Amino acid sequence: MSAPPTTSLPEAASRFLRGVRTAIDGGLDPLAAAEAASSELPKSLRDAIGRMSQRMRGEYHEDEWGFDEEFAEAAYPFFELLYDHWWRVEADGVDNVPSHGRAMLVSNHAGSLFPFDASMITGAIMKRHALPRWPRFMVLDWAFSLPFLSAFMRKVGGVPASPHNATRILEQDGLMMVFPEGVKGTGKPFAERYRLQRFGRGGFVEIALRTGSPIVPVAVVGSEEIYPKIADSALLARAVGAPFAPITPTFPWLGVLGLIPLPSKWRIEFCDPIDLSGLGPDDAEDRRIVFEISEQVRETIQQKLYENLVKRGSAFI
Amino acid sequence: MAGGRRILIAGIASHWGTELARALERHPLVEQVIGLDTVPPPIDLERTEMLEVDIRSPALARLVPATGADTLVHAGILLYPEAGKPARALHDINVIGTLQLLAACERSPTIERVVVRGSAAIYGCEPAGPSFFKEEMARSFALRTRFQRDIGELEGYFENFARRHSDLTCCMLRYQPEIGPGLRTPLARYLSLPAVPTQLGFDPRLQLVHAEDATAALLAATLDPVPGAVNIAPSGSISLSRALRMGGRTQIPLPHPLFAPAMARLGDRLGAGTLYGDAIRLLRFGRGVDNRRMRDELGFRPRFDATGAIRDFARAGQGMRLAPAPGIASVLGRVAGVSR
Repeated sequence: MSAPPTTSLPEAASRFLRGVRTAIDGGLDPLAAAEAASSELPKSLRDAIGRMSQRMRGEYHEDEWGFDEEFAEAAYPFFELLYDHWWRVEADGVDNVPSHGRAMLVSNHAGSLFPFDASMITGAIMKRHALPRWPRFMVLDWAFSLPFLSAFMRKVGGVPASPHNATRILEQDGLMMVFPEGVKGTGKPFAERYRLQRFGRGGFVEIALRTGSPIVPVAVVGSEEIYPKIADSALLARAVGAPFAPITPTFPWLGVLGLIPLPSKWRIEFCDPIDLSGLGPDDAEDRRIVFEISEQVRETIQQKLYENLVKRGSAFI
Repeated sequence: MAGGRRILIAGIASHWGTELARALERHPLVEQVIGLDTVPPPIDLERTEMLEVDIRSPALARLVPATGADTLVHAGILLYPEAGKPARALHDINVIGTLQLLAACERSPTIERVVVRGSAAIYGCEPAGPSFFKEEMARSFALRTRFQRDIGELEGYFENFARRHSDLTCCMLRYQPEIGPGLRTPLARYLSLPAVPTQLGFDPRLQLVHAEDATAALLAATLDPVPGAVNIAPSGSISLSRALRMGGRTQIPLPHPLFAPAMARLGDRLGAGTLYGDAIRLLRFGRGVDNRRMRDELGFRPRFDATGAIRDFARAGQGMRLAPAPGIASVLGRVAGVSR
């Protein structure tokens, strides 16, 4: 990379301080002096300081859902680290995600409280797609009643799981990620991993039909080993008001350390989109059509899960 | 001018009642404004006739038909306790008052339109979706606070009234909380504190209606109401933390179980008053409503969006700030060469 001749940061800093000193000696107040000497700082640093100052004044963009793109970008490197090194994610078929217009991503769901699967699917789109865009994902209502998690989820694109929210995001031509297994998926025991649970009553198909959105089935392999649930503590769940409380080989025995997800190997496959343009909003009332499509999506994901399990080989190494 | 509109405003001494009367007096289609309240409005209204009567009084049944009004606007629903109207009187004024007013309407053959300035509190403040409530989604959740239940009860009476009088246009306006320079609601005073207690780890999405839009929407609905409920809210939403940053306020995050007791103790001392009703939950979970019906059917387009309303409020900059003189943000801004 041919960079323009730049000075090192310490050098620039000392030149800046010297400039401030000279200006103060010249009779300026410290603030004006800093302003005068700021040209000594490298442009990238000045830009970063400028952005920070704008954020502190509230001058940044949030959309109506509270999604804060700058915040999501700032949090992204952490998830990229998990993506590349912790879970060594391999993604196939990312270009099946439409680069513009509305679309619904439907995926299997696992991994207890934090939707790591949603963040890795997001990572695959942001890293591998030719025209990346931030998807929105449905989050269990319970997470939005918790401090920190609720604010974090909202800023990175999570929305409370509600058919009204999915409909509105698709009407705004967004990319909506849904997990029809819901809590039954996240809370299933280790022995039942990769066996898809019931897809609710097919509500996601109704929404796709009403909004005229194509469905992209997504199979995620790896997420179901990060918290191997060997038992369930109804007592603990009731005590904290959670929908379920998993007992894993490490949790709650190792306390907070037990919340570190295991480093399984992941594969994410984006399947061919299911085009529903031949059907209309009226077909959302037809139970038979809704169940048929729901079952088609479910079978596609299930089959791709088995294929990718074979391709992946051993779970951890 | 003969043959113009005769408009009766209940609760004319309230901020919204007075503002509406002022706007109507200037309007060419309005022949007469009649105000109804226990006290006269704080400003002089030239073309307004006053009826000094308590809204809860049965005398309404005699007085309202005598006015010959074609439109009744109820602008007297109290959203929080005020001087002389303590919390325990709110239920009476809001629920019984509305009931008396509707009963009086039944005896007034000239009435064609009834508009109530209600509240979006009926949707509650919930961590669960929908993130934007539509009008038909009222009562998706249990009504949790006393104030919410009052709003629920009076909306129930109003719906019942509308059903029995299908020849009348009955419009319920569900307002998100208002904000604006010079407006002294508890929420506005809270946002003007030099240091603002917040709930640790929560950053609610808010939609606050600019006072100017709130009055203009009431005027639009008074002149040309639509049947049913209409949400009155700006487009978009803004998080509490961003709203406070725009105002240059310092946040003091408190663990959320301590927030309500702390506000109860400190509120009065800091000049914020007591946060009433669902404000505690609003400042934890926030609330968004869909405003498409307001824009498309009522035909009212607000001047400010959610961010714009806060920016205008911050620009007027009420209250004192805690931040040291030039402020860290502006120092950084000057160093970076970003002009304010």
